[in-house]
Amino acid sequence: MRSAHLVCCDRCASLTRSGRGATTSDPARGSADSGSTAVTTVARRRLLKSAVFRPQTELVPAGRGADAAGPADDAGGQSVGFADVFQLPRTVSGTILDASPHVLILGEGDREQRFALTPDAVAWRGTQLEPAALLQDDRAIVRLHPFGRNVADRIWANIGRVTGIITERSGNQLLVDEGATRGTEVIALEPRSLGRIQVRFPTLEPGYLVDIIGIRRRGEFIGMIPATSQPAYPAQRLPAPPLVSGHVPDSITGSATWHEPRDEPAGILGVSYPALDPETGCAEDLAAGMRPGYARMPFLAIGSVLRIRNDCTGSSCLIPVTGCTPIGRLFNDRCVTCGTSPRGRVADLTLASFIALGGELERGCFNATITIGE
Amino acid sequence: MIVLEAIGEVQIPLLAAMLLLGCATKVLKMVRAGSADDNIGPTALFPMHLRRPLAVVLCAVEAALGLGLLVTAGRFGGHAPADGIRLGSCLLFLVATCALLELRQSRPDVGCGCFGDFSTAPVSARTLARSALLAVAGLATVWVGPITRPRTVAGAFGLLTIACAEVLLIAVLSPEVGEGLIRLGYSAPCELRNVPAARTLAALRRSKYWRRYASLITSESPEDVWRELCWRFVVFPARYQDRQTDVVFAVFLQHRRPVVHVALVDSGTGALLESPAGKQRSRWPGLAPLLGSARGLLPAFNSAEARSAPADLPLSTDL
Repeated sequence: MRSAHLVCCDRCASLTRSGRGATTSDPARGSADSGSTAVTTVARRRLLKSAVFRPQTELVPAGRGADAAGPADDAGGQSVGFADVFQLPRTVSGTILDASPHVLILGEGDREQRFALTPDAVAWRGTQLEPAALLQDDRAIVRLHPFGRNVADRIWANIGRVTGIITERSGNQLLVDEGATRGTEVIALEPRSLGRIQVRFPTLEPGYLVDIIGIRRRGEFIGMIPATSQPAYPAQRLPAPPLVSGHVPDSITGSATWHEPRDEPAGILGVSYPALDPETGCAEDLAAGMRPGYARMPFLAIGSVLRIRNDCTGSSCLIPVTGCTPIGRLFNDRCVTCGTSPRGRVADLTLASFIALGGELERGCFNATITIGE
Repeated sequence: MIVLEAIGEVQIPLLAAMLLLGCATKVLKMVRAGSADDNIGPTALFPMHLRRPLAVVLCAVEAALGLGLLVTAGRFGGHAPADGIRLGSCLLFLVATCALLELRQSRPDVGCGCFGDFSTAPVSARTLARSALLAVAGLATVWVGPITRPRTVAGAFGLLTIACAEVLLIAVLSPEVGEGLIRLGYSAPCELRNVPAARTLAALRRSKYWRRYASLITSESPEDVWRELCWRFVVFPARYQDRQTDVVFAVFLQHRRPVVHVALVDSGTGALLESPAGKQRSRWPGLAPLLGSARGLLPAFNSAEARSAPADLPLSTDL
């Protein structure tokens, strides 16, 4: 992995103590607007949780007004609010207006932004190519160079990912159920990609799990490469997960994947967690019925914060849980990006989080260790 | 020479036990899965259409060799059928060792499948060493004569010692033993236990903390409920000294007399208010640092424009 230097701890260290007002809601039960609602709920729940476990010496006498909170907060000497947005892990997305060997111009609506390209910058659109080969109107996700605000070193064009259960196969087209809130998606498999995909996903039949990275072209998803390896069982016959005795360890190692934003804000640093509390948990579960997962992980909620470490690069970051991943829970695959991870997916990261932690999107996953309770 | 013969004699029941156990756990896995399509270790090396027949054949061979070793251990020992079966066992473990080596190279994510669901850990040096050891053990049985009862107590003790030592060695080389021990004495940790929210609410309403704050609470149903690890948090809207507040309960998820923590928070400012019933002592002071400080949260929570901004987590510069 090239981004060993892309350590984001310093950049997003304030994440866990940053929060702003929010309305009370249950985002996990929501569907289409769950992304932005989750973001506000993260802050509110963390505030209330901290309040309930706060040392009682910090109590504000009831008679004091609303301004009482201010001085009390500064006492800790901690920074208030967010880190500078430009100090955060940098991922930019937009539509390509122009791409030359040295400059990339992205636009969204009537806004446009120019990025200088490093000499070793590479692009990906189904396969690796020169940045100049990118086309106008390609949808790009750009990783900025850590030392240059407007310098790009990696571009993914039209990249997409479909993870779910195959419900139907018709020739070289797969209908894949991605869960209750994400619906179904059709994967078109070109003959030249089919063989490559079948090396890792030999059973492209209904009932089996599939996880394919490809490109989105004119509303169609074309599968190009397998994201991981296919579990050998049909989704309905999940093998018994390994048992955990005593207390669940604080750190759990497994595979961290990424997902497309859909209804989330595009650049959010968040993680979809595979074991949200079934009582208040996951919108997907309400429709599909609660299924046991493979990775035995402690129950958490929207707003819990995890430290996620990319075991391949050493980068680590505190990231809040902003969603659930019931489909990811069904996978007992391993990530082999560097060494062999234990079975099971422990985190499904947003694009921005995955890139911030040094992940390469086309590889599908990285070996990760999550730590709960920091 | 006598020791070597004794070692050879011990191998036969041990090998038979290993083969029959391997067969039984594989069959159990197939029955649980409802098919033989799942990988049984080295079958992952073969194309999909060959995996099922290979898995069935592997089970059948293991069962046949295991039973054959037992049947031919007595008076048939030293004859051609016994030698054939023992040589077959040796050959099976030799092939298995080679297959595991290949599996480790080409599919590092797949377990050896030797003992069905117990063998999910990737093939390691221990697994390979065990397979090689069993191949050598198989070879040691080939020219052993009929097994008879030991004539002396010392002889019986010697056989028992060799058997125990070898079982111990095999256990050390078996990653499955740890998995088996966990399953034997398993009870789910509270972090993994599914506890209904209704039960938590019932326990909360029985607690003294509920009685202390009940007069302030303005709604029958909680405004927000969520869980982290062994704690469930319940938030009720409340009214205190003419201001809108939230009462936050943290209930430890245990069946009887759960530990409860409570806080009164100003809804508008996020400020933590003094309990109307006087100061309460924190019974779990050690948790506070784990959960992080809320110092940075409060001013942000107090800010009107912050409340109106939905994207209040760090965002990348999305155009």
